[in-house]
Amino acid sequence: MKEVPRRIYYLFSPFLRIFHWVMVACILTLFVTGLFITKPVGLLATDPTSTMLTMDMIRSIHFLAAFIFCAVFILRIYGFIVNKGDRLFPRVWEGHFYSETIEVALHYMLLKPSHAPFLRNPLARMSYAGLYAMVFVEILTGFAMYFPTNMNSIGGTIFSWVNIALGGEFMTHLVHHYVAWFIIVFVIGHVYMVVRADFMEGEGEASSMISGIKILEHVPKDVNEIESRE
Amino acid sequence: MDKRESMWDVYLRKGISRRSFLKGCAALTAMMGLSTDMLSEVVEAAEAKPLPVVIWLHGHECTGCDESFLRSASPLASDVVLNNIDLEYSHVLSAGSGEPFEAHLEETIQKYAGQYILAVEGAVSTKDNGIYCMTGGKPFVQTLQRVAKGAAAVIAYGTCATSGGIQAANPNPTGSSGISHFIGDKPLVNVPGCPPIPEVMTGVIMHVALFGKLPPLDGDGRPKQFYGNRIHDTCYRRPFFDAGLFAESYDDKGSKAGWCLYKLGCRGPETYNSCGNMRWYQGMSYPIQSGAPCIGCSNAHFWDEAPFSKRLPEYGPLGDIDKIGAGLAVATGVGVVAHGALSTIQKKKRQEAEQAEHDEKQVKK
Repeated sequence: MKEVPRRIYYLFSPFLRIFHWVMVACILTLFVTGLFITKPVGLLATDPTSTMLTMDMIRSIHFLAAFIFCAVFILRIYGFIVNKGDRLFPRVWEGHFYSETIEVALHYMLLKPSHAPFLRNPLARMSYAGLYAMVFVEILTGFAMYFPTNMNSIGGTIFSWVNIALGGEFMTHLVHHYVAWFIIVFVIGHVYMVVRADFMEGEGEASSMISGIKILEHVPKDVNEIESRE
Repeated sequence: MDKRESMWDVYLRKGISRRSFLKGCAALTAMMGLSTDMLSEVVEAAEAKPLPVVIWLHGHECTGCDESFLRSASPLASDVVLNNIDLEYSHVLSAGSGEPFEAHLEETIQKYAGQYILAVEGAVSTKDNGIYCMTGGKPFVQTLQRVAKGAAAVIAYGTCATSGGIQAANPNPTGSSGISHFIGDKPLVNVPGCPPIPEVMTGVIMHVALFGKLPPLDGDGRPKQFYGNRIHDTCYRRPFFDAGLFAESYDDKGSKAGWCLYKLGCRGPETYNSCGNMRWYQGMSYPIQSGAPCIGCSNAHFWDEAPFSKRLPEYGPLGDIDKIGAGLAVATGVGVVAHGALSTIQKKKRQEAEQAEHDEKQVKK
């Protein structure tokens, strides 16, 4: 391999990185406990005299993970405000976004040998917007099931409309469960795309979520988003 | 009846003692789900307020709500009908019939315009001009609209009246729907259930009658004092749920031991009603206590949520969600592996192309 000059770009603030890894832990916890809550395993308890309150514990873990998830989201929003590199929203209001998305998509469909270099490529950004939309649905439906234990509570007042809008609380459970699986499908795609990006371009995609930096050979097209041009 | 009697007047006329009257008021207060410090206000209202005129209409339904109402024990349904309210018109409970009966309805509407309470059981049939439900020779929807115009408040009894009922189940051949769109802007209390608990029915009408205003309602228009809790949260089998002890079939040891019916499709976790705390027929029992999972009969559209014996993940229009989800995940996994293999080839080709370009440049130099 010949040596090529590369430049280091600092992208992700600690807020985004912490959020990312807490989100990973929370999503996995929420998913596994969620499966157990929907379909409890009979082996967990067999005798009332020696029970461990297993179902109650699983539910508590599920709720705890959900609240940690929401709390860490605030850190993520703070990172979004203070650091330009954290702003991963797809720039749909800019014309070149669409042509760039198509180019990246063509590359992923194996129709183009490579795509233009990006710090955060437009198709990935679209998928994050999709993930946040799914997370938003999970938060809404989750709280709509959690709070109405007391209808008069603040949470009950804020979230109970979701159950009416979806045509009944049973439908809220249904939506919550389907979207959980869609998030897992996203996770598989996401992990693969990161590994693939490292394999194809070697720009430090995977390690960037720990170190916050990416190392690029070419000048990325979206560099103007993180540093002003002199 | 020109001077309208109050509850106390009725007691006096019938020669019932003051002591019994106060006892009755105390029972009423408890039954309406009110705190005991409200007793003096209840007594005051019962002494002064004239008995509320009630018109009770029956639409597209089975009159099962009446069956439930008649089994109210505190107060007795007969007490409510004869002593506590002034029931002027009811399809099921009236002695009169035919023309004079319908004429009496017209008379009542005119005489007490803007004052009477309208209680409605049953759905509105809307298809083909409402001919699938006729009362007194007219489509029910017309009767309902006419009577609702002069009502002070409307009470919708039963899931039919609140959201269409079993006859509204897919594909809903009669176009049945709840009454809320047909009563104009009149204040409405929804009392869902198939049927509602007897004491809930009497409790709501007594609240409106005595205080002249609707009880506090939740976002779905249901009185909070009766529909504020989930059956799951008030269920006496809840500890078994928390412990992870479930009946797996109707005849296993869990079922015999009275464990949680969650895995048999119980809708308690989504259903708001008083079955868990008030129970039925003077606290005798309720479905879950009898070993049958709740079917969520006070939920809108519960009839379309069959099979009642299945919960998630098996329940759902597309089948077992966990199987669908796992299938999607596996398909994505396979797709990812295939894409990865193709990407390796793509990278190799790209490197070869780059190498060739590089070599070409070297040759030119």
